[in-house]
Amino acid sequence: MGFATEFTTITLQELPELSNQRKADGWRFVQLLAVNTDAGIDLIYSFMKDGLLVNSEIKGVTKDQTVPSITNNFLAAFVFENEVHDLFGVNIEGIAIDFGGNFYALAQKEPMTIISPEQKAAREKARKIAEAKAAKEKASQEAAPSEQPAPKPEVEQVNLEAKLAGMDPEKAAKVRAAMEAKAKKEAAAKKSEAKTDGEGA
Amino acid sequence: MGKATIIPFGPQHPVLPEPLHLDLVVEDEKVVEAIPQIGFVHRGLEKLVETRDYNQFIYVAERICGICAFGHSYGYAETVERLMGVEVPERAQYLRVIWHELSRVHSHILWLGLAADAFGYESLFMHCWRLRERVLDIFEKTTGGRVIFSVVKVGGVVRDIDAAQLAEIIRVLEGIKQDYKQIMDAFLKDSSVMNRTVGVGYLSFEDATNLSMVGPFARASNVPYDVRSLGIGAYGSLSDFEPIVDAQGDCYARMKVRALEVLQSIDIIEEMIARIPSGDIAVAVKGSPADGAEAACVVEQPRGECYYYARGNGSKNLERMRMRTPTSQNLAGMVKALEGCDLADVNMVILTIDPCISCTER
Repeated sequence: MGFATEFTTITLQELPELSNQRKADGWRFVQLLAVNTDAGIDLIYSFMKDGLLVNSEIKGVTKDQTVPSITNNFLAAFVFENEVHDLFGVNIEGIAIDFGGNFYALAQKEPMTIISPEQKAAREKARKIAEAKAAKEKASQEAAPSEQPAPKPEVEQVNLEAKLAGMDPEKAAKVRAAMEAKAKKEAAAKKSEAKTDGEGA
Repeated sequence: MGKATIIPFGPQHPVLPEPLHLDLVVEDEKVVEAIPQIGFVHRGLEKLVETRDYNQFIYVAERICGICAFGHSYGYAETVERLMGVEVPERAQYLRVIWHELSRVHSHILWLGLAADAFGYESLFMHCWRLRERVLDIFEKTTGGRVIFSVVKVGGVVRDIDAAQLAEIIRVLEGIKQDYKQIMDAFLKDSSVMNRTVGVGYLSFEDATNLSMVGPFARASNVPYDVRSLGIGAYGSLSDFEPIVDAQGDCYARMKVRALEVLQSIDIIEEMIARIPSGDIAVAVKGSPADGAEAACVVEQPRGECYYYARGNGSKNLERMRMRTPTSQNLAGMVKALEGCDLADVNMVILTIDPCISCTER
């Protein structure tokens, strides 16, 4: 017997039907997990049969949505449904053994939905790098027909921003403050230079 | 039928090395219903993936559990390698299986000792744990650690086992095997052990299947599911592998399956050592997992199937890492097995699922 994995996307409305179908076809429930995203919580239900592990994904479940429990078909899911409720704040209806939010003794409510500064920085960095890459490609495409150099300072600025996004937030703030001070100093120097030139004339 | 009484069991109880609470609804000393409660030691290790890069997190993964430490680092590395499309050298795959099966040997012998202690056979407990020390000695010689090994990395392993050490492993395991068979006879043939385990905590094949049970707990109810039979990594090169099953579905069957799996694991290690290829033990892994990339994998831990999931975000840190441990999957089956048993047998039934709460509350 071999092993293979598949990822599929389903809608929230399709979940009860999927659960019934998997049960009827003799699939084994493997697990339920959640991922916190900007669009909401992604829920991934995994089932296995004959070495094929299928992960069915519901994208972006929001706080105002209610997810039906699958414990009517797969009792083993009660642990994960309670977990997803306590750690991610997903509303799940009809759990066979429902702890009503007291499954885990937590110091903080819905801890897995808190975006840490490190995670925020990592996301920001990935976004900026992607933007810088896109800007670079666009610039090179525009420069190619007329053989003009790419707008280098802008790309450098984007790259710098991407680097700052990946740094420790406090350190990044200090670097930004130093850069602003430097820019102000340069601007003031230019202004006084222009004034001196005017007086000389 | 008498009046129903609710008896709290745990989270602190002599039979439980870790905190698990049960509300036992009993009538005339018979358990009618059991409601489990965990969550006393939730550590939030999955959240740590946001602050550790994917190479560092392997050290967090193996600290999920002191018994399945190697298995967690192995499962995590296997999943990240799938996420990044890394091909692990064949020798590293064999080495991983050797260490993973050694983990199973020491875990099962540890559990047998705990079971002996639970039914009051303390000399047998001591024999088991003394034998387990010899397995830990192998770990110490080959990895430098007895509990946490830090020997797996994304892309392979960090240490090789040379030919002399491999020969020594075979020699030590042969010695363990001889002594173990005597201990195993005490577990499987002694009438005092059978009195406490035969017919206790029964779980039918239908219940085990419907409840999606895993590991020795499921195999003792005749469910022939073992991740090793899927042939992931070097398990695919085994000449013959058949999951050990038993149809009895009681505490005795669960003990028997684990007892026999020790010998099966020793055979696997011997086969791996006989066939291990030469070559590199790791490949260099560069770059970061792509934004939105996903991978999932399963590994047969000593307690059963463990599921791993990883999602990348384009940086060195993963967006999400998930480990679904065998105990969290088996809780529903444990509740079912407890129904109808005597109050005095509750500890035995709980113990035979080999619960690992630190794994469950990663």
